[in-house]
Amino acid sequence: MRELELYFGPQHLGMVGNFSITLKVEGDKIIKADANPGYLHRGFEKLMEERTWMQNFPLVCRINVVEPDHMELIYSMGVEKLADIEVPERGKFLRSIYCEMARVNSHLFGLWAYSNMLGFDTVAHWAMYHRDLLLDRFEELTGGRVYHIYLRPGGVRRDFPEGFTTKLVETLHKIGGKVPDYNQTFFENSLFRKRAEGIGIVNLDEAKRMGAVGHILKANGVKYDIRKIEPYDAYDQVEFDIPTQTGADAYSRLLTIRDDMIESVHMIFKLIDKIPPEGDVYTKTPNPFKWTIPAGESYVRCESSRGELGLYIVSDGGEKPYRVHFNTPSYNHGLTVLEKALEGENIADVGNIMISLYVVAPEIDR
Amino acid sequence: MDELIKKLQTDFDGLEISTLAKTRITISTKKESILLLLSYLKRMGYDHLAIISCNDWIKDNELELVYIVSHYLEKDYGPDSEIDKFNIIIKTRIPREKARFVTVLDVFENAEPYERELHEMFGIYFEGHPRLTLLMLERNYKIPPFRKDFNTKKYVDDLYGNIPTIEERKKGKK
Repeated sequence: MRELELYFGPQHLGMVGNFSITLKVEGDKIIKADANPGYLHRGFEKLMEERTWMQNFPLVCRINVVEPDHMELIYSMGVEKLADIEVPERGKFLRSIYCEMARVNSHLFGLWAYSNMLGFDTVAHWAMYHRDLLLDRFEELTGGRVYHIYLRPGGVRRDFPEGFTTKLVETLHKIGGKVPDYNQTFFENSLFRKRAEGIGIVNLDEAKRMGAVGHILKANGVKYDIRKIEPYDAYDQVEFDIPTQTGADAYSRLLTIRDDMIESVHMIFKLIDKIPPEGDVYTKTPNPFKWTIPAGESYVRCESSRGELGLYIVSDGGEKPYRVHFNTPSYNHGLTVLEKALEGENIADVGNIMISLYVVAPEIDR
Repeated sequence: MDELIKKLQTDFDGLEISTLAKTRITISTKKESILLLLSYLKRMGYDHLAIISCNDWIKDNELELVYIVSHYLEKDYGPDSEIDKFNIIIKTRIPREKARFVTVLDVFENAEPYERELHEMFGIYFEGHPRLTLLMLERNYKIPPFRKDFNTKKYVDDLYGNIPTIEERKKGKK
């Protein structure tokens, strides 16, 4: 049979953003896949070298459109490490609650993307609606719906408004109460299971060789989670579990994402109960226009909703960073793992596998 | 941590080891021993290459390659097991002009996109890399864009500076 070259994306319904794949196909079987990023390369890392430490926040959150909050967190952590700033106890709890909200938000968005792509419109609408409820809480807290810029080196920008936690609990109950419906219509639906089970298998050995993190490892039964390995903020003061599966396919990956979301909701409840009643929420930092940070370097990491997120940051003792390099989970998932996972699969499953790997294109390009 | 440093220093010559934080070690080494060191660490269990980065130290006329490796943990690790939470930062310097280095693809397969990115952004040629094509950019630049001497302002002016503003265009029409 004749080999053909097929361009998949960036204008394709099954594509998750500004990203494309060049497929070499024989019939409808994929022989080779070439990931093709760069449609959204904005050179943020270079731009950040030209701006002061504080001015970089509006850039940082735009690296990952779906989940800007962990980007703020990792950059704050990097600056704190370099400048040797401690976060007050209450600030730590507020940060963790905020990041878990972001995780639920991001997973709901992912659920929307997956169900929408497979044609489960009802579930997609639900997920979008529930995400919107959570965005209302973000708006109340920070003033922004998508980009929040709530974190800063040394803590958070301001305290929770009055009655915020009660409203947050109500919203999360609303979302959590819908989980049985999600299960019935989507996760346990035989139509969905037939599409997702046994598709896009990335086994443990392959995943490790390709540098995979996050839910790809969790779908292989590995509890690799930075919140446990290297607890930051308030994660060492709360009990939580890391959901795993053993199927290693698209279906298992989606189940770990669902369970992770439920676990996050529970964790927020536990964190709210434990917030210290009084105290500062941030440590004072010097005037941002004159703030110089001593020369040095650091590598910090946290667990975003897609996996291990790292930041290598270097200061030369000036008012601006000397070098910033983000290690985003989608980078390996979208470039190396995806190319491997697509080999031998069907054309019809390309979007399916890609979304199950949870790739966000802006994160690859940066 | 001390055990690890001692072990590294007995097995390798010329390593400059320093501790950056509680769980971070920095190793500066000659460029010849990078491959050996990485495969040695991989055998020791540091099987996750987190990132390959590069610093442009323009004052010293050198590029600094940075490899960061860590453990993939398989068991349920609690917060007690310290040794496995380490991130090791390995650094080496190469000259800026005609920058060349060897690929580490044989040791870590996921180094592929990182090396491709460094090739286009910093102009480092990785010997033995099978696919050193452009990753993000559309074309090659005379000065690789992430180097410190690449002037972004001048680049934008050269590229877009000749396009008249709306006001200028209106004036021109009249």
